[in-house]
Formats: sequence, C-alpha cells, structure tokens
Amino acid sequence: MKLVIDESRCKGCNLCTMVCPYHIFQEGDRLNERGIIVPKLDRPERCPNCRLQKLYGRRLCGACALICPDQAIRWEEEKPYEKHKVVIEY
Amino acid sequence: MTFMDWYREDRLPHIYCTGCGNGTVINCTLEAVEQMGWAVDDTVFISGIGCSSRAPGYIKTDSLHTTHGRALAFATGVKLANPRLNVVVFTGDGDLAAIGGNHFIHACRRNVDLTVVCMNNMIYGMTGGQGSPCTPVGAISTTTPYGAVEPVFDLSELAVTAGANYVARWTSYHVKELTKAVKDGLETPGFSFIEALTQCPTAYGRRNKLRQVSDMINYMRTNVILIQKKQRMLERGEAVPEEKIPVGEFVRRNRPAMGVPK
Amino acid sequence: MQGNTACAEGALAAGCNFFGGYPITPSTEIAEHMARRLPKKDGVFVQMEDEIASIATVIGASWTGARAMTATSGPGFSLMMENIGYAVMTETPCVIVNIQRGGPSTGQPTMGAQGDMLQCRFGSHGDYSTIALCPSSVQEMYDLTVKAFNLADRFRVPVFVMSDEVIGHTRERITIPDHVEIVPRRPLEKGTLPFHGGDDGVPGFPEFGRGHGVHVTGLTHDERGYPEATDPHIHETLVRRLVSKVESARHDIADYEVVNPDAETVFVTYGPPTRTVKQVMHDHPDERVGHLHLRIVWPFPERLLKIFTNAKTFIVPEMNMGQIVREVERHTCLPVIRVSKLGGELHTPDELQKLLEGRP
Repeated sequence: MKLVIDESRCKGCNLCTMVCPYHIFQEGDRLNERGIIVPKLDRPERCPNCRLQKLYGRRLCGACALICPDQAIRWEEEKPYEKHKVVIEY
Repeated sequence: MTFMDWYREDRLPHIYCTGCGNGTVINCTLEAVEQMGWAVDDTVFISGIGCSSRAPGYIKTDSLHTTHGRALAFATGVKLANPRLNVVVFTGDGDLAAIGGNHFIHACRRNVDLTVVCMNNMIYGMTGGQGSPCTPVGAISTTTPYGAVEPVFDLSELAVTAGANYVARWTSYHVKELTKAVKDGLETPGFSFIEALTQCPTAYGRRNKLRQVSDMINYMRTNVILIQKKQRMLERGEAVPEEKIPVGEFVRRNRPAMGVPK
Repeated sequence: MQGNTACAEGALAAGCNFFGGYPITPSTEIAEHMARRLPKKDGVFVQMEDEIASIATVIGASWTGARAMTATSGPGFSLMMENIGYAVMTETPCVIVNIQRGGPSTGQPTMGAQGDMLQCRFGSHGDYSTIALCPSSVQEMYDLTVKAFNLADRFRVPVFVMSDEVIGHTRERITIPDHVEIVPRRPLEKGTLPFHGGDDGVPGFPEFGRGHGVHVTGLTHDERGYPEATDPHIHETLVRRLVSKVESARHDIADYEVVNPDAETVFVTYGPPTRTVKQVMHDHPDERVGHLHLRIVWPFPERLLKIFTNAKTFIVPEMNMGQIVREVERHTCLPVIRVSKLGGELHTPDELQKLLEGRP
C-alpha cells in the first residue's frame, strides 16, 4: 500500500503533520498549481498502515486520514516491486 | 469499505475553509457509521443551517438540509414516521443552542432514537464570525468586539439534564475517541448527543490570538480534561482550573425511548 | 358531526398516517381526534413543542412517504411560514389545516375570520404558488380535506385547508362516502434526476430509504438536488417551475359551483359567507342574482368570472377587510363591491338582501 495526498483536495492546513506518530507528514515548502503548500512525505514506507494493512486485514492507525478535513489522504494499491538483480561489489 | 466510500465524490472538495474541523468530524461520524455496518440506503443525514449543516450535501445517503435550528424537529418526523431508517443529525452550536434550543431540549426529553453530532466551533462561522451562545466569555467576535460577556451554554450538561440516553464530548483533535463516542451513540437506543469541539481558524481563531490552525489544535489539546479525572479531583477536594473543558462520556443510560424499531 | 372532526375523519379516509401538531383554539379538536384515532390505525400522532416543530415533523415524515398533516390557527400559522417556504422549495407534499380566527396577533381565539387568505398565498418569503381550499360546510370540510391530500401528492406542494372557526365548530349531518378516491404520489423513476420537472413540472417523488440517495435542500438547487445558490439561471428555472406547475393547472383543478350564469349581479364567495348568500338566494329567488362559490381559492381561477356573460356587478362578501376581492378586481373591468365584515360574526342574509335591494 502507498500513502498519497490528493493535491486536488488538500488545502494545506497541516493538521496531518500534528497527528502522525511517525512524523511522516512534514510541512511542505513548495506551492502547487492551485497555490497551496501541500505537506510532503518523509519516508512514507514507515507508515504501519502501508506495511501491515494487508497482513491484518483492517486499517491500522489512520489518524491522518481521519483528521484530514479535506478527505485528501488515502492509501493506494501498489504494484509489487519488480525484482532486480543486485550486483554486490566487494 | 471505508468512510471515504460514503462521500459524494463529485461534490468534493467541500466549501469549508482551510483547517476547519468540520471535515474531521464528518470523517469520524462516517467512520463510526461504517463500523456499524449500516447500509447507505437505510441511513438519513439531517442538518439545519450553518457551516456544520452543509455536511449532508457531501454524503451519498438520503439527506435533508433544513431550515435554521429545526433539524431536530425534521429528524423527529422522519424517525417516527419510519423507525427503520437510521437517522443522524449534524448541527452546530448556533443552530442547536440558539435558534434550535427549544427543539433540542424537547428532543432530549422525548428521547427519540436519533444520534446528534454537534460541531461546536464557538462562533457563527457561515455568517462571518458573530458571537454564539457557546462563545467563551471574553472572546472577540464581530458582535462582541469588546469580548463576550454572556455566560455560555454547556451543551453536554444540558443534554444530560434534559434526558438524553447518551452524551459525550470530544474535540476534532481526538479523532479516535470521537469516532468511538459517535459509534457508542449510534449503538445506544434513544437520543444520543455527541458534542465535538472544532476549530474555526477563519472566524474564531483569527480574532482570538489563535491565528494558526496548530494554535487552535494545541488550545483544544491542552485545555481539555477527562471528565472522570475532573470528578476524581473534585472528590479529593482539589481545584479544577476554570478554563479546563471536561471531555469524555457524560452519561449512558437506558431510559424509555421513542422511535426505536420494533 | 363537528367541522373539525369531519376534517380529521376526512384526513384518515384519505390515508393520513402522520399528524404533528400543537394545541391552538379553534383547531384543537382536529389534533384531539387524530390523537385518539391515529394510533389505532398504525399511524403516528406527535404533539410537538411549537408550531414550527409541528410543520417540521410533518415535512420530515412526508419524505419517508407518509401522508402527513398538521392543523393550526392564525398565530401558529404565522410561526409555520418559514417551513412552509421550505416545503415549497423542496416540493414536499403536506396538508396544513388553518382554522382561521380573528387577528392580528392573538385576536379573537373563539371567533371566525378569513383574515389569513393572503397570508397563505404570500406569507413566506420569495415567489411561490400553493393551493388553498375553503370549505363552507361540514360536508365540504370532509371532502376538501380528502382532496387536499390528493392535490398535495399530485403537485408536490403544501396544500392549505383554509377553514375558520365558524365551520370548524359547526355541527351538521354529513354523508361519509363508502369509498374515497386516493391519488398516490408518483414515485421517482430510477435513472431520472430527482428534481427534473418533466412535462407537468412535477418531479417524481424520491422517498427516503428507497436507494435514491437524494439530497434535499432549501437552498436553490439544480435538477440533481445539489445546492447551486449563485447561478442566476438555475434559480430562475427552479422558481419559475415551482410557480408554473401550480399556476398552469389552475383551471384544471378549479372546484366551484355556479348559480344563474345569466345574472347581472353576481356574488363571489368562499367559505362561510357562501352560506349567507345561499340563504339569500333561497329566500328571495331572483334570476338576476348569480352566485360563484369557489372551493379552491388559490391558485385563483380567474376565467370563471367570464362564465357570467351578462354580469354588471360583482359582490364579494368576506370576513376580512377585503382580500380575495383584490383578485376579482384585478381580473374584471366591472364594478366590484366589497362587503367586508370583521368581529367574528357572519354576514346576515338581511344585510346582503338590503344591499341587493338598494341597487337599481
């Protein structure tokens, strides 16, 4: 699962930055095309919901999505990572 | 399904200002409704007039956006005429406590099987920030430019006294607790009242030295006290600071109720 | 049977299954009768905290498919005005019985009057049109209440039964029909927009709990029911449809009685003065005197005045200072005499007879 902020809905209130226990949401620094500073995501793969929702079969935490007054935060399905061959150099 | 599936996606984004807590309260209510496993077709959302009352327009179910203060009377009609429907009312402090005060106490007294979610932002937001019956003493609004002088209504205490079966108060910062409280309210037969203190940065915070959304959130986070803790403090004879707002479950009881499906 | 009881019985015969009310003289007997009868017919009676809440519950109940009504008198009717406008805007069928009494304000609670005839047409803010029926006997009280429910469901408007203390508290023998015709609401077809007028301007009814997912709002709304309060075109289309769906049918639904269509002097009446005029015409039969008795006053069916081709004068006796007479004046070039009477007493036959004799 992948955490995404819907830029067409976010109004830049930064409430999500106050509730995430992992501080994944950070105040943004760049205006988007609607003139809104959308928060940026700091290593979103740490989000327990991204990692464990499938495993537990229910939503975990989810405080950011609940508090987001503009319904802009959601989790999207993600394609499994493609396997690549890693050459390890000694 | 999640609470997002209850929204009319074609109506979003909604009209609320940046940082308004109403969207959060709708999320929590819909999450609770979703946890109840109710069907979209059997649920009706009803509201009066004001910021809070625009909420049903963004929800997929049948919904009634009525006149100022009268939402509870309309809801009484819907519920009594068809008890099979699950009725949830969104209202605000001005809508419920000022113009709809009479309907509020009588709906509590009748104990009609409704769940009422009151978004108390302590101000009239839609009309631009006039003082409401819940504006704290000393707060600045456009109609109280020298600070509010009238004592405030404690809506939750009022609902307890008037006879509601379930009463709880939380804030739009305490999303998990608020969701749980709404769910408890939906489960309780009879009149359930959940007061959600919400931030209004545009009309309230801006004039009251809480200009940033985070300031208002911090105000709500630091100024609440769990009602059980307050009672313990009172029992021990300790002084409870006056500005502390008690939150939590005020009452849960099983008085005879009207409009409960047989 | 008393007029108010006949009204309640008519409502029950028409399938009324929800009554929300508040006690007010002289309409209380309707609520009392409904409180006795409705629970035994699986209906709901609820006494609300005021008239504002009464009409609100009625509108709420109507959206669940119930045939809902309330009954009140002048002061309560004034309180209901805002939500009557809401019922018009949201196209909610409901029946409001107004047993009129002397006004303004608390006025004469136990005396009859017809002072709310313009209020029921223009009382709420904004442009709209509704239907008002005026019974002149206990039998008509029964029949017109049944009719009110059918008209409300057909046009999706609040319908007023504008009776008064005189008829409400009159006791007369009436015939209760074995079978009354009930015209049900046309349900919304799946796939059509909930506020799309169609041919007659009346949308199908999207009852709550049937999966229509309809948003009902008193704000200006488009055909989907979504608020669009700033678009001038949407507002104009909506309000013009709300008015025209009633006004365009005013001659189809006209309910009246004509006596002596060739007469020169014509009485135009509705409600209790009808009884006086009938008495005059009974006591002094005269082919030169005609009578137009309107049972539906709003929307005003002005073409009926043209039935009297030889008419030279219209006389409009009313128990107010002249309200419907304005409509008559508006629609004819002939002289119109208003015979207004205040104080709660009916015109006497002698008064009207003297008026006739005084004329050449």
